[in-house]
Amino acid sequence: MQTQGQLIEAKEQFAERGLLSLVEAVKQGDRQAYHKLYQMHLGQVYALCYRLTADRALAEDATQEVFIQLWRKLDNYRGDAKFSTWLHSVTSNVCVSYMRKQRGWWQRMFNLESTDAVHEVAEGSAGDVDLDTYIRRLPERARMVFVLHAVEGYRHEEIAQLLDMAVGSSKAQFHRAKQLLSEWMGYE
Amino acid sequence: MSNKEFEQQLQRNLSALPDDIQPERDLWPGIEHALGQTPENSTQKRATGYWGMAAATATIGLMGWLGLSQLPVTSDAEQLAQVLSQQHQQQKQALLASFDGQPALTDNWQQQVDELDGAAAAIKQALKEDPNNPALLRMLQQVYQQQIDLIERVHAPTWQKI
Repeated sequence: MQTQGQLIEAKEQFAERGLLSLVEAVKQGDRQAYHKLYQMHLGQVYALCYRLTADRALAEDATQEVFIQLWRKLDNYRGDAKFSTWLHSVTSNVCVSYMRKQRGWWQRMFNLESTDAVHEVAEGSAGDVDLDTYIRRLPERARMVFVLHAVEGYRHEEIAQLLDMAVGSSKAQFHRAKQLLSEWMGYE
Repeated sequence: MSNKEFEQQLQRNLSALPDDIQPERDLWPGIEHALGQTPENSTQKRATGYWGMAAATATIGLMGWLGLSQLPVTSDAEQLAQVLSQQHQQQKQALLASFDGQPALTDNWQQQVDELDGAAAAIKQALKEDPNNPALLRMLQQVYQQQIDLIERVHAPTWQKI
């Protein structure tokens, strides 16, 4: 007799097989299949871009960039990992690279720290927390490290490579992010 | 409240984060438009590339002169800013004309162009008050370059390596 866990696993395997056949169709140049793939994963890609950038317009542009590049680079997906895991990795890389290109000079020159959340957060209380809003309020480097480590599960070594920083800096930024969150959530 | 309580609360909040957030605007038309373009078949892109090259050469000459010489007296510094602005306006208008009718990748690019215009105006105002500041002239040139890059990018997407 199958347990509920086995049933869920079988369902997931079935869904993943369906997804793989969709990916194969896209590799053959099927635009309709790509639109379907886009619709299936838009929310997950945008969520990651929005958390990394903390800016709706920039996240939308970065999401477009992810799907534009994905169309051309899908051949690189060999099916070794789950598609969603691979897509998260692609999204992180493209989004970070996009942010570097878009904001690099502008922020260096004017030292801007503009996020959508700067003006939208009041002091919080521990029981009633919109973590996404707090994340968007974090300073850029601390936010990116926090999202990649705590939300996406990256190791600090991977983050250091992706963000071109020392491993120690990644850990320090993560610590800083948690300190700020702790303060905003009313724990300090 | 203790650090342990915070860690527990944070873990609960992390687990509750939504996997899926939808953007406010429809992103597909921009993506579909870009899928039809390749770096090889975009004559538009080549044409704008020549414009960029010509402008860059002129600007490098101008900025090189800025770097090598003493900053001119007030009226000359203002003239230099004017030349820079005129040159930029010509290049910008030519670019916009070449992309006329072509769909852009983002809806808010005009707003971004306007914001850069605002930044340029602020720098020019600062130059009036501090005309002997070469950093301001360099900033002005960089804002203009940013604007050109933006217009090119939203109309002729480039491909990055994943």
